[in-house]
Amino acid sequence: MIPQIDLRRTYLIARRDFLGYIKTWGFWISFLMPFVMFVAVFGFAQLNINIDPVRYETILDETGEHREGFLAYEKAGQRNIEWNLIEPILKANEKTDDEIKAYYELHQSKGMQPLYDAKITGIDPSIFDKLESRSRIIEPPSQDIEDLKSYLLGEKFLAIDGASQPLDALLHIYMEDGKIRSDYWTTNINNERLKNLSNRYFQSLLKEQYLQSGGLSSAGLSQTIGRAPRTKAFNPSKASSGDQDDQAVSDIDRIPYFVAGGGALLLWLTIFSGAYMLLTSMLEEKLNKLLEMMLSTTRLSEIMLGKLLGVAALTITAMLPYIVMAIGGSLLLSMLNAPGIAEALKAAVSLKLVIFFFVFLVIGYVFYGALFIAVGSLAESMQDAQTLTTPIVLVLTACVMVVPLSFRSPDSPLLDFAAWFPLSAPFAAIARIPEDPPWWELTLSAFLLFLMSILVVWLAGRIFRYGVLSGAGVKSVSTWIKRVIFRRKLEG
Amino acid sequence: MTEQPLSLRNLTKKFGGKIAVDDVSFDVKPGEIIGFLGPNGAGKTTTIRMALGLIKQDKGEVSLFGGDPGPRTFGRIAFLPEERGLYKKQTARETIAHMARLNGMKARDAFPLADRLLDKYGLGEAKRKKNKDMSKGMAQKVQLLAAIAHDPEFYVLDEPFSGLDPVNQQVLENMVREIAERGRTIIFSTHVMEHAERLCDRIILMSCGRVVFDGSIEDALAKAPRRLVIQSDDKKINTILEPFATSIEERSDGALTVFLKPEKEAFAIVEKCVKAKIRLTRFEPKNPSLHEAFVTMVGEDEAAKMHAGVFA
Repeated sequence: MIPQIDLRRTYLIARRDFLGYIKTWGFWISFLMPFVMFVAVFGFAQLNINIDPVRYETILDETGEHREGFLAYEKAGQRNIEWNLIEPILKANEKTDDEIKAYYELHQSKGMQPLYDAKITGIDPSIFDKLESRSRIIEPPSQDIEDLKSYLLGEKFLAIDGASQPLDALLHIYMEDGKIRSDYWTTNINNERLKNLSNRYFQSLLKEQYLQSGGLSSAGLSQTIGRAPRTKAFNPSKASSGDQDDQAVSDIDRIPYFVAGGGALLLWLTIFSGAYMLLTSMLEEKLNKLLEMMLSTTRLSEIMLGKLLGVAALTITAMLPYIVMAIGGSLLLSMLNAPGIAEALKAAVSLKLVIFFFVFLVIGYVFYGALFIAVGSLAESMQDAQTLTTPIVLVLTACVMVVPLSFRSPDSPLLDFAAWFPLSAPFAAIARIPEDPPWWELTLSAFLLFLMSILVVWLAGRIFRYGVLSGAGVKSVSTWIKRVIFRRKLEG
Repeated sequence: MTEQPLSLRNLTKKFGGKIAVDDVSFDVKPGEIIGFLGPNGAGKTTTIRMALGLIKQDKGEVSLFGGDPGPRTFGRIAFLPEERGLYKKQTARETIAHMARLNGMKARDAFPLADRLLDKYGLGEAKRKKNKDMSKGMAQKVQLLAAIAHDPEFYVLDEPFSGLDPVNQQVLENMVREIAERGRTIIFSTHVMEHAERLCDRIILMSCGRVVFDGSIEDALAKAPRRLVIQSDDKKINTILEPFATSIEERSDGALTVFLKPEKEAFAIVEKCVKAKIRLTRFEPKNPSLHEAFVTMVGEDEAAKMHAGVFA
């Protein structure tokens, strides 16, 4: 039997629950926090503030053979990092291969400045400045290793641009028993940049020497490796106009899985936080002892539905910053010359995903919300509520575990089962959408959850009435369970 | 308006096999003010909950305004439950307006009404104060105003006086009188006999889940033993008194308290004393109290619970 509902009273209950939270400082702090964080991070980025201090390092090369090579090696490494960022930008700007080659040579010989001067969209000093190493390799202030250690210990300071600066690290290269030794000294043991750089430099040097001994060069080796065929991935289910390249797989093709997985997680988070808010709202109602007064003027079904709607509105409001930021992020990607990603995002948010996201959001919320309301009506304190909700929280947590499966094994039988099983259906069904399950499967899964929700709502109503008006609590539940189990044992 | 607000027939309710309400029947007629009395665990709150349809009876029938309690009667009843509470973050005016709106009032009427009620009952300055910041007495008044703001036909007040200081008890008493003057029907439970005596047309006394008395104050008082205090220096006085008394108690001041037999009258004692030439130094017939009536009806133990003011 469908319970009768007076919409006005339901609205008033929902309104009070909604405003009860909205009017608190805590809500607005949580609501605005994502924006505040975004503004803070964005502002920080705009201010071009690097949180790492400039570190001064030095090389004491007693062999007199490696310092210059080391510095050249470091510079080349820096150039590579820059070029790895520049190349995709040039391609996005539709530069030809010859133009890209010319820019490469220009960059290798003269650094970033000529590229800034060329005013290529996306190559912005504010972005590339952050790539610049915060480590400065300076001339050793002393040629004596013991004296240099006193700089490391802060007993002596470097004079850099008229200011005293500490020495952060020392690389000591010397000969011992006819072999090169490289020792790294620092008091900042977690900073191993110079040590790692030194290891790579010597490995590269020996590689070069080895190749040269055979009449080869490292540049030649790189060219040869560069000619190795690259295995390309194809997906035969991908639409094609007859050209095989249409079916080539790229990272962009994985975006739907990330979108669906993200959607499933968002759904889980929304349902979980909404249901938990319902629990606290229910508990507040019970502890306030206002329910009896309200029940003399409002139907139980109206109170329950009002609470469900009020907290749903609240949950959606709480999620609004994330939704706005997701949409904003997508728009930003489109604007930042990443049309492939923007297109893939657009394609990933399919009609099927949108429809079933909302279908499962509503039914899943009602299902879990009713469970939490029932628990809240039995609890007499927050501790009681935590004890009673632990099994539900464990189930909810277990259910969300299937979402990562949709990345690794979208055809997993466990994922298939989870998409039908009412408790996990909302999350698993959404996570499976990139696999394009038929509409009937999703509809039937939603329908099963809907039937289960009716049962849970009915049951929750009974527990609610029992818990709130008959004063039943955790103790009466455990007594009831013991009695039933004990009786069963006797009968068995 | 002429519909009978409440009629209970043979109501019975058990909790975990224990009888809470046993075969309770009574009617509440339009315009009556009824005091619902009884000691702790007597079954008053359970009866009220069943009467309003908040819990289902195991046996018996409830007729609220001629039908089953439920949505049909929403807005026609003001119910103040025994257990008190408010939404902590709501203000006083929001609380009253919210309940008034749930009872069918429009927002544009509910908020001005809340303001008027708060002004009238001395809470004008607390209008925008959050409930959590109010004293217990203030919060209790706000809840009462929230329960009655829509001015319905039938008021069900479960222990409305409990927790209020004497000044606020008087305010509430005046409030009940005002409601009654508008022709509304009121049933309230209380353990303060004076309230019942001053306010009620009728009292219903419950004990151990059963109605042990249902009638007017006068009828209740008639159940109490009549007594008088008498004193004389003449030792023969005891002989004169014995035929009139069910018992005679000697007081610390030397006087005697005489509990009269039902068929005997106090003035007959005076006549006898005059004839016997016994000089009386003190003769004070005492009015029976409701408490004495209750002791007679429910026994010392149950009455003691009421006297202690521990009520369900």
